[in-house]
Amino acid sequence: MLFNSFIFAAFLPLVFGLYWLLRKSLPIQNLFLIAAGWVFYGWWDWRYLFLLAFSIVLDYSVGILIHGTQEEWKRKAYLSVALVLNLGLLGFFKYYNFFVSSFVEAFGGMGIQLNVHTLNIILPVGISFYTFQSLSYSLDIYKRRIAPCRDFISYAAFVSFFPQLVAGPIERAAHLLPQMTKQRTFDPQAAANGMRLILWGLFKKVVIADNLSTHVEKAFTGLDHHGSITLLIGALCFTVQIYCDFSGYSDIAIGVAKLIGFELMSNFKFPLFSRTIPEFWARWHISLTSWLNDYIYTPASLGLRDFRKWGIAMAILLTFFVSGFWHGANWTYVIWGILNGLLFMPYVFRGKMIPRREIVAKGKMLPSGLELLQMLAVFTIWSIVLVFFRAPDVGTAFAYIGAMFTRPTGPISLLSGPIYILFILSLDWINRHDERDPRVLRIRSTPLRLAVEVVAAVLIFICMLNGYQSFVYFQF
Amino acid sequence: MTEETVLERLSVVFRQVLDQPDLVIRPETTALDVDGWDSMSHVMLVVEIEQQFKKRFKSREIADWKSVGDMIASILRP
Repeated sequence: MLFNSFIFAAFLPLVFGLYWLLRKSLPIQNLFLIAAGWVFYGWWDWRYLFLLAFSIVLDYSVGILIHGTQEEWKRKAYLSVALVLNLGLLGFFKYYNFFVSSFVEAFGGMGIQLNVHTLNIILPVGISFYTFQSLSYSLDIYKRRIAPCRDFISYAAFVSFFPQLVAGPIERAAHLLPQMTKQRTFDPQAAANGMRLILWGLFKKVVIADNLSTHVEKAFTGLDHHGSITLLIGALCFTVQIYCDFSGYSDIAIGVAKLIGFELMSNFKFPLFSRTIPEFWARWHISLTSWLNDYIYTPASLGLRDFRKWGIAMAILLTFFVSGFWHGANWTYVIWGILNGLLFMPYVFRGKMIPRREIVAKGKMLPSGLELLQMLAVFTIWSIVLVFFRAPDVGTAFAYIGAMFTRPTGPISLLSGPIYILFILSLDWINRHDERDPRVLRIRSTPLRLAVEVVAAVLIFICMLNGYQSFVYFQF
Repeated sequence: MTEETVLERLSVVFRQVLDQPDLVIRPETTALDVDGWDSMSHVMLVVEIEQQFKKRFKSREIADWKSVGDMIASILRP
């Protein structure tokens, strides 16, 4: 079920009403959450539910087994079972065809014809997200960071939690599970805040991202005849499209969770206002970055620490390689990941890789000239690298980037793209001090704010009538 | 080496690695109290501490550090 569909608009109030009616009994409320999660997920394809059920039973049991034994080799063996099965499923559904066709091509290049067939596998929505969430549960128990959950219903509700099931934020057990096992109380203020987040998220997705996506489509399909400026506009549009698409999804997820008494972690903190590359990664898709940080980068960099900065550099490249590959089974994502790792290198070797936490120009109206230049540079560089993320294959990506730098400026089209970009970035700029409180434009007068919110809702509705597009991150 | 001298030398490392000349740390200080002390800078702190104190810690030990006090305990452990 898509957040931006009319069926979800019917589903959510129904779940909301029944959920709070059941508030007297926590187990029943959690059972209801499981049911809601399964309807939400099964709406795509009921067969996916077997995968979800398997994942729940697997990590629930492995968690208890790991915790219950003291012998190190046994703990390791149990963890390996969880790793192999979780990653095995993910690998089969997501990467099987990629590996088969890559092998066939590689051998074909050497003149050997392999007769292996790819399978007609449909990628189950969100599998990368809930696999990573479940994996972190087993890993945290192994590392003795958390104790296993003994309440199967709460655990199943934690994995099946529909607001963040298919595209995150990827939650950690230490944060979300305790909320599952304790009584929730309805807080009208949190619910109102949640509604605003949903509205704001839908606006970013339906009004901005979906409209920008047609610009991006035109830029990429017309690659052969566009001038360099138009191609640059297309690349910038894609950055803002994916930002609005994915951060919009996260806002809706956080908002929906608030409606039913849960707090999810922030996933985006205005990444397009970053002054450096490390700052960008501290603000973009935070739940994935912190996952990779904890389970890939930290162990790798500790293991490689004898190589000093080179060790850190290798650990970063490895982390970004995994990140790229996590996104999709295509060389474009792998190259995208590695390029992002390379962009980090100047900061590693200059010892400047710890990002600033404070938002740019905190408490001020405008950024300084230097800050503006830094933000523009990060935004542009990131957009160029992101071409790999959007292009259907590596050749197209190189052709696109090459044309952006070598072609004459030519006639400029897609001009409404920059208007969308400036519009949404201006709104973000005003809101940038708190990503979890999108009070439109910080308008103090309630009637005026309500009026703006109604206009936004009407715009969303009109754009939804044109049919709705899936979220970019559903394919991962 | 006493706890105080270790803390003093640790302070120097922290200030230098995190680039905060005025930073004050105490045994009860945790990563949450210090701006910039995240898992990324943690590794750099480990590298610097190991070199300063001529020690080699196990990954497991490092993972268990929750506060500056835990670091001091590890450093003082024979």
